[in-house]
Amino acid sequence: MANPIKPDRSVVTTCAYCGVGCNFKAETHQGRIVRMTPWKDGKANHGHSCIKGRFAFDYYNHADRIRKPMIRDSISEVWHEVTWEQAFDFAAQRFRRIQSRYGRQAIGGVSSSRCTNEEIFLTQKLVRAVFGNNNIDNCARICHSPTQFGLSATVGWGAASQHFDSILQADVIMVVGANPTEGHPVFGSLLKRRVRQGAKLIVLDPRQTETVRSPHVRADVHLALRPGTNVAVLDSIAHVVVREKLYNEAFVRERCEWEEFEHWAELVGSDRYAPEAIGPVAGLDPADIRRAARLYASGPNSAIYYGLGVTEHSQGSTGVMCLGNLSLACGMLGREGVGVNPLRGQGNVQGGSCLGSWPHVFSGYRFVTDDEVRGSFEAEWGVALDAEPGLRLPNMFDAALTGHFRGMFIMGEDPVQSDPNQGHTIAAMSEMECVVVQDLFLNETARYAHVFLPGSSSLEKDGTFTGAERRVNRVRKVVEPLAGLQDWEIVVGLMNAMGYKCHYDHAGQILDEIARLSPAYRGLSFELLDRVGSAQWPCDEHAPEGTEVLHRERFPRANGRGTFMLTEYVPTRERVTDQHPLLLTTGRILSQYNVGTQTRRTANSRWHSEDILEISAEDAAARGIKDGDMAWLSSRFGATQLRARISQRVNPGTVYTTFHHAETRVNVVTSDLSDWATNCPEYKVTAVEVALVKPAGFDEYGRSLDRHAGLAAPDLSTATTASHPGRQEVHA
Amino acid sequence: MWSELRDLTDAIDVGTPPRSGESISLSVDGQTVRVPRGSSVMLAAAKAGRNIPKLCATDTLEPFGSCRLCLVEIEGARGYPASCTTLVAEGMSVRTESEALTRIRKGVLELYLSDFPAGDVADGWSEFHQALQQVGITSHPYAPLTSHQAVAVDESNPYFLFDPAKCIVCSRCVRACEEIQGTFALTIDGRGFGSKVAAGQDQPFFESDCVSCGACVQTCPTQALVEKSLFPEGYHRG
Repeated sequence: MANPIKPDRSVVTTCAYCGVGCNFKAETHQGRIVRMTPWKDGKANHGHSCIKGRFAFDYYNHADRIRKPMIRDSISEVWHEVTWEQAFDFAAQRFRRIQSRYGRQAIGGVSSSRCTNEEIFLTQKLVRAVFGNNNIDNCARICHSPTQFGLSATVGWGAASQHFDSILQADVIMVVGANPTEGHPVFGSLLKRRVRQGAKLIVLDPRQTETVRSPHVRADVHLALRPGTNVAVLDSIAHVVVREKLYNEAFVRERCEWEEFEHWAELVGSDRYAPEAIGPVAGLDPADIRRAARLYASGPNSAIYYGLGVTEHSQGSTGVMCLGNLSLACGMLGREGVGVNPLRGQGNVQGGSCLGSWPHVFSGYRFVTDDEVRGSFEAEWGVALDAEPGLRLPNMFDAALTGHFRGMFIMGEDPVQSDPNQGHTIAAMSEMECVVVQDLFLNETARYAHVFLPGSSSLEKDGTFTGAERRVNRVRKVVEPLAGLQDWEIVVGLMNAMGYKCHYDHAGQILDEIARLSPAYRGLSFELLDRVGSAQWPCDEHAPEGTEVLHRERFPRANGRGTFMLTEYVPTRERVTDQHPLLLTTGRILSQYNVGTQTRRTANSRWHSEDILEISAEDAAARGIKDGDMAWLSSRFGATQLRARISQRVNPGTVYTTFHHAETRVNVVTSDLSDWATNCPEYKVTAVEVALVKPAGFDEYGRSLDRHAGLAAPDLSTATTASHPGRQEVHA
Repeated sequence: MWSELRDLTDAIDVGTPPRSGESISLSVDGQTVRVPRGSSVMLAAAKAGRNIPKLCATDTLEPFGSCRLCLVEIEGARGYPASCTTLVAEGMSVRTESEALTRIRKGVLELYLSDFPAGDVADGWSEFHQALQQVGITSHPYAPLTSHQAVAVDESNPYFLFDPAKCIVCSRCVRACEEIQGTFALTIDGRGFGSKVAAGQDQPFFESDCVSCGACVQTCPTQALVEKSLFPEGYHRG
């Protein structure tokens, strides 16, 4: 009989993969999840889905899931399974011992955008109210921290100005440093639908992505800029807008300060930002820059969508400001079909930003130094709070190496694999006396941990996610947590073990606390979300069911006006040299998700079983590399090897890879430079060299025949670098 | 455009995409209903609480008019127009049930059933099975055909399979791939009775341009495209 089993129960919940925030019905049969089907009422997806949310859910039940808490005295010992109470007590005693020896500031925490708003909020409460300091950061540090900074500075809120459906009203769509068909597939489909209906498409990306060209979609302008030249090119687009008077003077006069605009126009209008001057810097035809500027400014409705290709640069915050400036100058804010919208990577990056997992701000982006704000938290939490901003994540690692930072609570994050300059991260982690990791799997970071708390997947807990369009969506428990506790219950357990008594009957009470303490979330509750499905913040007495389009009448700044920030182009210090003549940029692929913790444990790996290095035919030929060869990829920071694919998607001089597989260790290679304002690492630009690997001691696939040798540098005496003999020394 | 997407709900499939615009009035089975101009007769009937049997129509896709199951009678119109591709008009009077309509629908379903695995008619819960139940069909009068019943199942994709024996070539998968996902990986290959759904250049799904978004599986009315996870014991055609 070939009729399928019929699910006997379904629970509407929110996908935890990317920032689109698709609603799914998790369907179960006899208590087991048998399929995820997209929910037609979902306001972000309208019944559509992608391979990840629709099919890649089996990781939740994977044999690798840790089901018991574990502790060990040192990272060289084996793990011991213990009860939850024993694990909490062990961690609490170690954290308190560190604080008594090295001071209150010697420990901290990191939360993850894979966790719910409630868990993220509780983690910062743990650090602020229980640890007694502000050493709390979150993984948005390494992706969208420049968004918060750059957009706050220009338009007032570090969040998408629109709802996704707004794109169906756009006449011109500008995609900057994002690849929505791979990274945000359901939104990518909506974008392609609008382009098929006739909207014009501008793409700024070093690669010819699927967004640039796919069946029935072709970008009207593709600016395949050299990695690291975003700000130069965006300033050049602004130059054309200013010099050709394409800006919206009425909008600027009404909604911004005219003097500020003039000041900005003077900068970008200068000859050094003329397309003819910037074209050679960015590897672009000046005529294309002019075409892009004219298209965007002519609208009538032009919308900007951008991703990590803007933020993960030494001028990431400046790049975001460029986009804010441009939309203000052309009057592309405050209505349907326009706006500036970050496409956020993880399911809850927006929530991670909103909920105070930052060393300097509480939830709602309010400063810890503000006595009144701090007072409201002190009143709610019943303890005195530290008025000094705490350490950022990279600073925690730096402080660990100097011995001032000794313990860390890491929730749902894998900094050893995700963060730049892996060697530095590992050295720092190895110095610490108590690292507590809460995760589904023994991740790379857990190698350096003393306490492992087995977390719950999004299918095993209640809470909310805030999608990239500011949409707060319910996460509902479909099955019981495999290890017995929902993530928020684990944090509560640790708080109590450390002597801070607190209790919640259910996750909805945490959202109620968030609502009491965070203006933009004031109107949110489980009851509201159960009734209306989802709501975009700000949600308060003025907008009881949320706000779809921001900035309709005023900008959320003291004077209600948008601000033009000066965005001088300062080239990154990371640049090509004779030894590292290529620029490496990184990205992701449809079937895998970030460092692959979940998707690599599903059949999705059949599509993408390893990270591949894309290289142009010219660069490959010059190095004797053929399609499918193993390549040695090296930078000033480190080296790794991966398979090369000759690709027309990248221009000569640029190479590209994904970062989904731990074995590839791409982040050994990436640079340690970071955004000037927020420390967001410059993943998108690293000067590298590539060489053919086929040396003795490695098999035909380039894998070490000595399994213990790992990725030790191969003997490259046989490596072919014939046309560039001088480059052999690179690998010495 | 966007506001129409928001009218979609899991609670009911009104058959064709909701429209927005000026509201007009018509009568369905004697009941007056108001819908926006540009709506289909099928949608108007759904708003009036009538459930016209349908296979190739769903409200997430533009109307196509291939399955011939949703035929209705319209006062003053000749023949039996398909309610999915016929637009409403002010003052229109529609009849969704009659002896003639039942006879036509039975005939259509019997033809579909004649090329469907006989062992899988009972116990099914697909839209096709629901339509069979609604119209009251359990068998067909035709001699056994083998045309699509011998074609191999495509199990190349890790997550879903395609069984051509259950496919009625309504094109919902092809249209979902185009209209919803925008990948254009599927097509109808061949002509007439020999036509079939093909991925890419008539390749296995896994080797084609398919990105496994699941839109085709979601929309398939016969579960010819279906999640493998619903077959814990593996797939064996009935």
